[in-house]
Amino acid sequence: MAKNPDPKNPENGRLELLQGTLDMLILRTLQWGPQHGHGIGQAIRAQSEDLLKVETGSLYPALHRLEKQGWLKSEWAISEANQRAKYYRLTAAGKAQLVREQNRWSQLVHAIGRIMNPAPSKE
Amino acid sequence: MHPSDKSRARPIDKARGKPDERELDDEIRGHLALSVKERIERGEDPEAARLAALREFGYIPAARDAMRRVWYSEWFDATVAFGQEVRIAMRSLRRAKGLAATVIITLALGIGANAAIFSVVRAVLLRPLVNRGEDQLVYIRQSAPGIGAANMTFSVPEIDDFKSSATTISAFGDFSTIDFTLIGLGEPRVVHAGVVSGTYFDVMGLRPILGRLLNTSDDGADAAGAAVLTYRFWNSSLNSDPSVIGKAIRLGPRTATIVGVLEPSVPYPADTEIIANVVTSPHHLGATMVTQRTHRMTELFARLAPGASVEDARAELTSVHGTMMRDNPESYSTRAETTLSVTPLRDQIAAPARTILLVLLAAAGIVFVIACSNVANLILARSVRREGELAVRAALGASHGALRRTLLAESLVLCGAGAALGLFLSGPLLDVVSRFAAKFSVRALEVTVDSTLLWVGVSLAMAAAVLLAFVPRLPSPHAPTGLGLTSGSIRITPGTNRRLRLFAMTQIAFSFVLLAGAATLLAALVALQTANTGYNMRQVLVFDLPTSGLSLKDPREMEVYDEITRRIDQLPGVEGVALGIFVPWRDAGSLGPGFRFTGEGYVPADGEENPHGRLRVVSPGFFSVLGVPLIAGRDFTSEDRTGNEPVVIVSQSLAQRLFPNGEAVNRKLWWTDPYFAKDPPKRIVGVVADVDDENIVPGPALTIYHPVRQVNVAGRLFMHVSGDPYALVPTVTQLIRKMSANQPVERAATLEDVRAEVLAPERLHAFVISGFAGIALLIAVVGVAGVLAFSVSARTREFGVRLAVGSSPRRLLLRVLVEGGVIVAIGIGAGAVGGYGFARLAGSYVENLQLPGALPVVGAAAVLIAAALFASLMPAARASHVDVLQALRSE
Repeated sequence: MAKNPDPKNPENGRLELLQGTLDMLILRTLQWGPQHGHGIGQAIRAQSEDLLKVETGSLYPALHRLEKQGWLKSEWAISEANQRAKYYRLTAAGKAQLVREQNRWSQLVHAIGRIMNPAPSKE
Repeated sequence: MHPSDKSRARPIDKARGKPDERELDDEIRGHLALSVKERIERGEDPEAARLAALREFGYIPAARDAMRRVWYSEWFDATVAFGQEVRIAMRSLRRAKGLAATVIITLALGIGANAAIFSVVRAVLLRPLVNRGEDQLVYIRQSAPGIGAANMTFSVPEIDDFKSSATTISAFGDFSTIDFTLIGLGEPRVVHAGVVSGTYFDVMGLRPILGRLLNTSDDGADAAGAAVLTYRFWNSSLNSDPSVIGKAIRLGPRTATIVGVLEPSVPYPADTEIIANVVTSPHHLGATMVTQRTHRMTELFARLAPGASVEDARAELTSVHGTMMRDNPESYSTRAETTLSVTPLRDQIAAPARTILLVLLAAAGIVFVIACSNVANLILARSVRREGELAVRAALGASHGALRRTLLAESLVLCGAGAALGLFLSGPLLDVVSRFAAKFSVRALEVTVDSTLLWVGVSLAMAAAVLLAFVPRLPSPHAPTGLGLTSGSIRITPGTNRRLRLFAMTQIAFSFVLLAGAATLLAALVALQTANTGYNMRQVLVFDLPTSGLSLKDPREMEVYDEITRRIDQLPGVEGVALGIFVPWRDAGSLGPGFRFTGEGYVPADGEENPHGRLRVVSPGFFSVLGVPLIAGRDFTSEDRTGNEPVVIVSQSLAQRLFPNGEAVNRKLWWTDPYFAKDPPKRIVGVVADVDDENIVPGPALTIYHPVRQVNVAGRLFMHVSGDPYALVPTVTQLIRKMSANQPVERAATLEDVRAEVLAPERLHAFVISGFAGIALLIAVVGVAGVLAFSVSARTREFGVRLAVGSSPRRLLLRVLVEGGVIVAIGIGAGAVGGYGFARLAGSYVENLQLPGALPVVGAAAVLIAAALFASLMPAARASHVDVLQALRSE
């Protein structure tokens, strides 16, 4: 895992999560296999090279929301900290949802990219 | 990373996935553990790692709430929020312990009393009977108000008339009560027995719990004697012994076999111990019983024909009864105003208890209103004290709804606690009330603590809670009064003051109504207890010596009686002994409404019939033993016996009625009632003072006394005793048993105690209502004291100023007392007007309702005023002792 660039001020250089993207990131992270909340948070952070940090205050309600939607399932198991932890797993519906969100996201990125960096005219 | 330890992995409920609180906590704890572990692995100090993990996580309850909120609806949120309000309410009430305790106890009294009484009302008036098809079951009664016979019962020819013509009735069941000496089940004793025809149990819809009941094969003179035990008798006297079935017993002169045990049911019209078939009672088979239309002793029940209503049956039976009266005018005197009533059995059974229970219910309701007004006052005073808090909340944007919710939470906590305590109290209260109500209706004995109690208690508490939450006025956010915001001290607005006073007056008014009612009952009771009965009450001891038959045909039995009286007379401490047939008051009604008689030369006024007289049979010495003065003539002697000239002694009223212009002694009179056939004239040998042995409220009595030896009936023993009368009871019992082993000796009591026993329902009645009035008085006095105390404490400054400008403390004291006096006076006035109106209103629904006399009302008012002035004393004293400097500094 990458070292925190500045342990005194962890927020330095961090990016705010865009509204509505957390669900997608969680679903995406769980594609690699079942994981507990802490692991999901760490994975997002590591994958984003410490640029994205998920607040626990929004991560856990999001996990519960996704589970209620039927996109995740959960079960209890003993974690590597030798403590009971709740592991989340992607369901078939969750996979379909991930595809949908990914498509939507690509469209969004594409659209915003077009606005921010208008392609040089071909003529 | 994948869960490795499968054995400890516990899948949560996958279908809904709703986690409980513990799971939410576990998930958070799991997260923290992982976070700490990771930090330690990075090289952080364990303690620092823990703190950092916690810091990173943020506010844990908020996260937990957010997780939970995913799963639950808004409604749940509101509930949680309300739960929070309740917790806050509990905390804030813990700071006001005195107030909370007063409110809770007051409400508990109100709720407990109501729950208990309502349970009894429900059990006695509303619950169906165990009888199969009880809605088809009616009770038929013949009464003759003109001669004071509320229940005249029926004769066999009358019942036959009904049977032959009624179409709205599918079957009739008859029941008559008779006393038997029962031999064969323990000690020989007299039992109340029912004598019934074979259709009775079928009509009543009752089942046996053991053996069989009586049926039509038990009818007729040739059937074998058969008896059914009632459940209560079998259970209490025979310890539910099943081997009793088939046992032979002696019932007076006849024998019978016990064939079954009746299921527990409401005994009506009489609580008997056994129920036997007709053949066990020789009297029932005699010619008098079967053919004489006026020989009435049978109660009549009927089951409606399919499709017929109670109204149909009433109409038809009334018309049959009308025909019957027209066809047999000699048996129905016009003055008697004989009428017929047909009532569903359940209503008939409940009838005597209805008035008293409704009165109790009203009393309990009044106590509840008083309790609620008192609590409302306390809450109102409290809300004035916290007006500041509410004003701040309103100013910060709290809606009216939110403020009401705070108040509601608080009143719910109070009322909930009150209800809980009330229900706890209502158990023992129920016991008292049901034992009281059992004097009027046997059904009250079946009352148990059940869910009725619970839901009455809870609904009353809810009603009180909602009421209390809406009592205080809320500060308006738009037009802030600025009171609470600017100063921490209490100010009292005229509006609040008016409300406080109004509630106090309400309490006084209702307490006054209850007190006046209780005072009336007490006055009536005192009048009854101190009434001059004309008897020597203390030193006369009476015994029941029931005889095995209706009369002593066998001269030897009379000899035994004579011997018994002779031996008792010789006992030390016995000053006189006599025989009779009638214990005053205790035997009231047992001889019916009396019989018609006339006298030599007596001509009834035009259209009037011969008067009814009471028939009594007494031995020589009876009058001196009981202390009844002989006014003229002589007492009976041992020579007044069968074979000698028939003689009687009459009461003074009777003598004046028959012979208004002269001496009654040596004139003749005779019974003219058809019951006596051709009664020979009897010479009056004496006149005694009037004694009314039938009624608790003494009235004039037309009584004719016959000598025992000419009628050969006895059964009651009277002794005039010096010293402690009860000390003689064992001696007398032994003496009689030695002479006649099978002779029951029962119910020894002095006349004073007989009367006290007969008065017991009245005493209990007065006691219960006084209890309610006492509770009401207590609550009302606390209420008035509370209002004044609050008013004084809110006006500390005013009093300080008054004292500062030279008002004397004594005048301040008087002012506060007058304030209290005004509340009480207005309350009493309102109570008097309201109570009078209510009594008038109730009078149109309830018979025999009497308005209280002036003395009890004035007494109640005096008690209330005294109590209220006493309650005002403390606040008044406080007002007059206000420390001027302190009072002025307090602003």
